[in-house]
Amino acid sequence: MPITPMEVYKLLPKTNCKKCGEQTCMAFAFKVINREKQIEECTPLFEEGKYAKQKEKLLELLEPLKEATETGLIVDEEKCTGCANCIVVCPVHASEDPHGSGSGYGPKMEDPIYRLEDGVLKIINVKKCRRYGKNRILCVACRENCPSDAISFLEG
Amino acid sequence: MHVCTGCSCLCDDVEVELEDGVISRVYNACRRGAGIFLNLNSSRASPSIDGEQVELERALEKAQELIQGSENLVIYGLDTTTLEAQKLAIELAEKKEAFIDDNSTFCLGDFVEMILKKEVPSTTLEEVKDNAYVIFYWGTDPYHSLSRHLSKYTYYPRGANRQRGYEEDRFLVVVDVRKTHTAKLAKKNARFLKAGNDEEIIRGFIDALEGRSPKIFQKDIPRILKEMEKGKFNVIFGGLGLKYGLNGNYDLFKEMIERMNEKSEVYFLPAGCHPNMRGFNELLFEKTGHVNRYSFREKRSSDDFAFHRLLESDSVDTALIVGSDPLNSLPLEYAKKLAETNTIVVDPRETFTGRIAKVVLPSAISGVESGGTMVGADGTRIELKQVFEKEINDEYILKKLLEVV
Repeated sequence: MPITPMEVYKLLPKTNCKKCGEQTCMAFAFKVINREKQIEECTPLFEEGKYAKQKEKLLELLEPLKEATETGLIVDEEKCTGCANCIVVCPVHASEDPHGSGSGYGPKMEDPIYRLEDGVLKIINVKKCRRYGKNRILCVACRENCPSDAISFLEG
Repeated sequence: MHVCTGCSCLCDDVEVELEDGVISRVYNACRRGAGIFLNLNSSRASPSIDGEQVELERALEKAQELIQGSENLVIYGLDTTTLEAQKLAIELAEKKEAFIDDNSTFCLGDFVEMILKKEVPSTTLEEVKDNAYVIFYWGTDPYHSLSRHLSKYTYYPRGANRQRGYEEDRFLVVVDVRKTHTAKLAKKNARFLKAGNDEEIIRGFIDALEGRSPKIFQKDIPRILKEMEKGKFNVIFGGLGLKYGLNGNYDLFKEMIERMNEKSEVYFLPAGCHPNMRGFNELLFEKTGHVNRYSFREKRSSDDFAFHRLLESDSVDTALIVGSDPLNSLPLEYAKKLAETNTIVVDPRETFTGRIAKVVLPSAISGVESGGTMVGADGTRIELKQVFEKEINDEYILKKLLEVV
């Protein structure tokens, strides 16, 4: 299930105390989801007893962040049948490996983002993904073409 | 690179990694395909007579005896084995004046026959990849039955004349009774036609082609036809849903394709099927002019010679079943009949049919342990590249059985 910044914001202290270095709690919530900030950087949440309940809920909410890759990508191998739609539609694969995965075959490039291993999708090199890094593009081509919803992104 | 024999796609880009002589990793194959390689050593059959394990030699002798003594033999299955083995099976059937049938009788044999008789224009999957614009999936859910079909051959890959990807250079049409996983992919530049009655939809297309307003999908059908004219090369993949939806009456469907071809190029291909079903259909067609359900004694094909009908009418005393598990797929009444027949099972794995068989002869898994040729659903011949070599394969066993006739 995707996590929205609003859901995180609602559970933060909402005091805009700036102790985390951000101007507002909302800005902090965005960065937590993008993994640019750690939730532990919100010190009042962990130090002040009155936020204990909120803290519990928030940590539970953020649990999937640990499973996700740096781009927020989560692959549920249980749901994957290995149709390889995601591998072929990936714009990075198409431009860097036009005669391999761009043409429907298994990847012929060195470090593909995805590859089918033992019949299911495996993430090999997430750094090549257009969602990676500072100047990222929120591409969802692979998720859009997965009929069994095996691919999801944290932000939805 | 190896060829996966999981379905009629026959994907030829599968790679395997070995560890101590055992397959430890499979790359590029789908879940079903990878299973064939990874589970190579599980549930393997062993030679037996009446359920008791024996030496292979003894089992072979017993099978030879049964074949020799049989008056009315039927050979069935064959769709997961190679062309070379199928040829031997047909030769055996001819010499024994036996019946021969495969799964295509209730799978897509009718469609293959239409193509072989040139009643509908057909093409290859390579051509589809390079040229196809409008791609129909009619009564089939390839996401499950032929997992890599869309990504390797049809909708998603960039082809020689289709370089801009699926969003601009393809138009997907899915016709099915429910919103299948494949139908979920029909989003932008695509249509999903929820079929109540296939004939109604075919009539809709014919009406629109004749300039009348179709009775159903008034907006979608004219749009699809317009796209087809634009595309110049279009293809319809027909599955079991279409076959059973039409109930054996293909005239209207053929008329629709003919009419469509007056305005644009439209080709037809079967989607679904066992890895080498079309191979068997082609071999038998070359020899007899029929694709399945054939009696070499009466030299004709008939619905009465379908495997289940033969069991029903007690027409056979011995059944040679190669690479198929009819006990698993046929209703109980036929299973009972099969149990009363002298059955010889040739299969690499344990099967339900093997449990009631007189003789079980373990063979090799085509494509993993034995080479040979297979024919994909589009008629392309593909050379298998085995990982291991097992001497006792379908070919070896069928040759042995041929020795005594």
